[in-house]
Amino acid sequence: MTQVMKGIRVLEVAQYTFVPAAGAILADWGADVIKIEHPTRGDNQRGFINLGGITTKPNRSPFVEHPNRGKRSVGVDISNPEGMEIIYEFAKTADVFLTNYLPHQRQRMKFDVEHIRAINPDIIYARGSAYGDKGPERNSGGFDGTAFWNRSGIAHAMTPEELEGPLSQGIPAFGDSIGAMNIAGGISAALFHRLRTGEATEVDVSLLSTAWWASGTTLDIALDYNEAPRNRMPTSGGNRGNALMGNYWTSDRGTINMCTLSPAPHIRSFFEHIDRPELADDERFATVEAFMQNWEAASEIIKSAFSMQPLNFWREKLKTYSGQWAPVQSMFEMMRDEQALANDMIFEVEAADGGDPIKLVRGPVQFDHTPVTTTRAPVMAEHTEIALMELGIEWDRIEELKQNGAIA
Amino acid sequence: MKPGTKLYSATCNTEVMVIRCGENAAIECGGAPMSTSAVDTKTEPSGEHQNGTMVGKRYVDEAGTVELLCTKPGTGSLAMDGVAMGIKDAKPLPSSD
Repeated sequence: MTQVMKGIRVLEVAQYTFVPAAGAILADWGADVIKIEHPTRGDNQRGFINLGGITTKPNRSPFVEHPNRGKRSVGVDISNPEGMEIIYEFAKTADVFLTNYLPHQRQRMKFDVEHIRAINPDIIYARGSAYGDKGPERNSGGFDGTAFWNRSGIAHAMTPEELEGPLSQGIPAFGDSIGAMNIAGGISAALFHRLRTGEATEVDVSLLSTAWWASGTTLDIALDYNEAPRNRMPTSGGNRGNALMGNYWTSDRGTINMCTLSPAPHIRSFFEHIDRPELADDERFATVEAFMQNWEAASEIIKSAFSMQPLNFWREKLKTYSGQWAPVQSMFEMMRDEQALANDMIFEVEAADGGDPIKLVRGPVQFDHTPVTTTRAPVMAEHTEIALMELGIEWDRIEELKQNGAIA
Repeated sequence: MKPGTKLYSATCNTEVMVIRCGENAAIECGGAPMSTSAVDTKTEPSGEHQNGTMVGKRYVDEAGTVELLCTKPGTGSLAMDGVAMGIKDAKPLPSSD
């Protein structure tokens, strides 16, 4: 990957996925990211025993790699004033300070924006939070399960009203990973602004703001029309007004998602692909207006056609259809998807346990068509001594700091 | 031996950096003394010293007088004066979603 962030240093005082994954994105892009971890506990992300219902493996943690690849880890006890002095030393050398600690913690341990800016007035101070850095709940913590998925309205909108309870997020760190990219984007813009004007800004992204933005179309409709789209129960058949929108079930209970929003140029091609070319000249479907008016009749015909053949038949058949559609795939099918792999979605890092390399998903942005090349996530406090020596701190001082527990 | 010294295994690919050194501690890997320069002709790790090393991990003796940072992993395991060294591991708060 073209190292667009080369020469930028990020000082990260953060845990779990949402905010650290922003550091990982910037590291993928070439930034030097120093991750501060508690000297004995490390990032709490390392403590997952179960994740998404899967029992984790000791010493092999793709869920630690996802938000931490490409960084260096320095063990510092930020609750120890001598440890905080080390944070300040790093802050002098950093372009970006990245944190998800709560306001009262930042105040108590003295690394809020005014403390860090007193050390380095040009630093970009980036906060990730659950609910935002303003308002009565700015001191409340949260995870994507709370702020992004449930409180935001997303769980409600995703769940058909016929179900007895709301669907759960289902994908670990789903909101975190989306939000991380938002933070990385905000930091990039802040760096650009600083370059042009010399002005350092504060950057805020919350899991709630991430959810609002991701749901922006629904919310904007709801704000204006006072009604909001909501998921429907799974069924085979077209959407109201457009039979080329909707899921259709195949004979082996696979699903083809038809997603041809503007059907006009594609009606003929579609009917040819279900071996009913004559329907393109049927008066019910011969114009786009008629086709959309008679969506129920079209839906019945299409539903019947799809139900005659298995999913793989339709996957092959529809390859030459001019409109938009997709097979419903599992994550396992996705991992082998030729198109995704052709776009370098997977890269590898060395496994710290000496086993096979760990395959990881790249961030959504690619520069110059080049794949990500980075290093594995650090082991907790792996780089303490080397990073402190880079700051010019002598070995004897490092030993002292270790003795009193300020660093690991 | 002083902090920052690099040690090389005589039995496998393991390399470590000395972070804290006890007095006159004999550091072994795979059952054979480690060297301050790369070893060309290696023997095999022997006996109980074949548990391997993991990169990035810190290895300590029970009394905490010696700490080694593994910079290159190998198949031999680390020992001090014949006693296997342990991993100084993160003790994160347990989490489950």
